[in-house]
This record gives sequence, structure tokens and C-alpha cells, in this order.
Amino acid sequence: MIRIAAVGDIHMGPESQGVLRPSFETLHESADVLLLAGDLTRHGTLEEAQVVAREIKDLAVPVVAVLGNHDHHADCADEVTAVLQDAGARVLEGRAAVVDNNGARIGVAGTKGFGGGFVGRCAGEFGEPIMKEFVRYSRHRADTLRAALEELRDQDCDVRVALTHFSPVPDTLAGEPPEIYPFLGSYLLAEAIDSAGADLAVHGHAHLGTEHGMTSGGVKVRNVAQPVIGRAFHVYHLAR
Amino acid sequence: MSPHGTRPARGTGDARNLDYLVAHLTDQLAAGPLGELGVRIEIRGEAILLTGTVPSAQCRDDILRSARAELPGHPVHCDIVVADNAAPDHAEEVE
Ligand SMILES: [Fe+2]
Ligand SMILES: [Fe+2]
Repeated sequence: MIRIAAVGDIHMGPESQGVLRPSFETLHESADVLLLAGDLTRHGTLEEAQVVAREIKDLAVPVVAVLGNHDHHADCADEVTAVLQDAGARVLEGRAAVVDNNGARIGVAGTKGFGGGFVGRCAGEFGEPIMKEFVRYSRHRADTLRAALEELRDQDCDVRVALTHFSPVPDTLAGEPPEIYPFLGSYLLAEAIDSAGADLAVHGHAHLGTEHGMTSGGVKVRNVAQPVIGRAFHVYHLAR
Repeated sequence: MSPHGTRPARGTGDARNLDYLVAHLTDQLAAGPLGELGVRIEIRGEAILLTGTVPSAQCRDDILRSARAELPGHPVHCDIVVADNAAPDHAEEVE
């Protein structure tokens, strides 16, 4: 059995230093890896990233992360990424990582992803440049997720997990106003996951959503935004 | 006499309708120093109800203070909760 711990949207700032650390220090008892599903900071500043870094440094389980929209707000996502990497996290954007722990080999393909909406209710690549750019940006992220999942196929992983910030499915947005679904996720992510294959998809971003969903290809989706799961993290057991 | 004779024309005035004020507060919470997109602001008659989960008690207090400053004359009710940072007591078996 493979044990995946995950949380997103911890939105840390200077005043939250230390609040998650005691729970994270129990992870070696319950999980083989910790996935962080973006929005780790409130504004994406280096100061906030350092708060997150201290929270995850030297944990007994490997940490794999993607950034969220909040982590981009201060326009220094590369520096935020570097701070988290210095603390030992693997930070993915359109890339894959394999972590070995407790005899488990876990492949994670990650991207922040983006919005655009869901089948029949989505933005199209048409009209003004900014609209086309919006859709292209989202499609590019989905394409890199697909490529990263495909790359993991040949790496002898026990399980493959898709890690995003934006949601691949509308199921896990239930509770959010339907009018804002196009800002919360994109079916392009689900299409990428279904075409490349995965054992689990984990995302955050939708604070008012629900935990459980599934792609049309049958991949289980979990919204691990901290306000949704109501804990420091949740743990998912997957069969090898 | 026109039925509208004693009222100002529609769409004039200072546009300080409660719905616009709430929209501005939503913007201010997101784009301002709080960076908070996770709070729902709902109109209940003349009052305002805040709901959602935020990372800290300081966040909740800052949001409540902003709301009261932005919406003078409207009672602001706060049902915002602070995130629970406890470790889970069970795992989910995913089929
Ligand atoms: Fe968030
Ligand atoms: Fe987000």
C-alpha cells in the first residue's frame, strides 16, 4: 500500500509560522510522501516562502509541491520556488519527480494548471489577444502535465499522481458559485490526466468546494484545500 | 404628474448601493494587503454575513475590520472560522 499525504491552500504568512509543523512532524507515521497543492503563501513573497520553508524543512518524508495563484502574486515565483527547493521540496511546473521512500516508488507529475472552465461552459481561443492568451496558457499547462505523466510511465513507479493547484473536474468545486467555475479549473487538465493515465489526481484552490470527485476516465480526484479537508493534511491509501 | 416626479432619475446619484460596496470590498480583500479570496460576503437585508475559512485569527480580525470600515452603517456578522491544523485521525482507502 502507498500512503499519500496532501494539503493545499495553507496560505502562510509571518503570523502562521509553526502552526503546521507539529502535525507535519507526525507524517512519518502515516505517509510515504507529502504533496503540497499550491497557495502555500498569501502573496507569494520571499518572506512568506521562508515561513513555508521552515515548516517543511527536514521532514522525515519527501515533499513535492506545485505553486498556486497566490504564490505568483508578488511576481517572484522563481525565487519562491528556489526557497522551497532549498528546504528540500521538489517544486514541479510541467515536470515529473519520482520519490522513493519506505520501499514505495511514487511518481508525481505537477503543474499549477489554470482556469478556462469545463466542457460546454468554457472559454475558447478566440477574439481578443488577451482571451486567446488566457486559453493558450491553460492549454500549455495541461500539455506539460500530460507529458510529465507520460514520462513517468517508463519509470517503474508503484503509483502515478497528478498534482495541480487548479481543478481538473467540476465535481470538487461543488459549494463554489457555479458562475466562477471557469476561474477554478479546466477540463484540459482532466483530459491530460485521462489520456496519460494516473492513479490519483490532487488539487487545491477551491476553498468552498468538496473533497471527492472523479474524471470522466475514472481517475479519482481529491480537493485537498485546507479549508475543505479541515485538517493539516489528508492521507490517501493506494494499492500498488 | 409623472409617477417618477419626486424621485431622482434612475442610475443617477452616488451609486453607493450595497451590492457595489460588497463587490468593492471583495476586490479590496483580494488585491489589498490581505490577499484573501476565500471569504464569501453575502447580503442579508441591510446586514452583511462573512463566511469561509482563513489561516489565522489575525486574518479573521483584519477582514472583519476591513468589512466594518468599508460598510459603515451596515451590521457585519462574522462566521469566518480559522483553519484546523491538527493531523487527521484516519486515512481514506482509495479504490
Ligand atoms: Fe487558495
Ligand atoms: Fe488558489
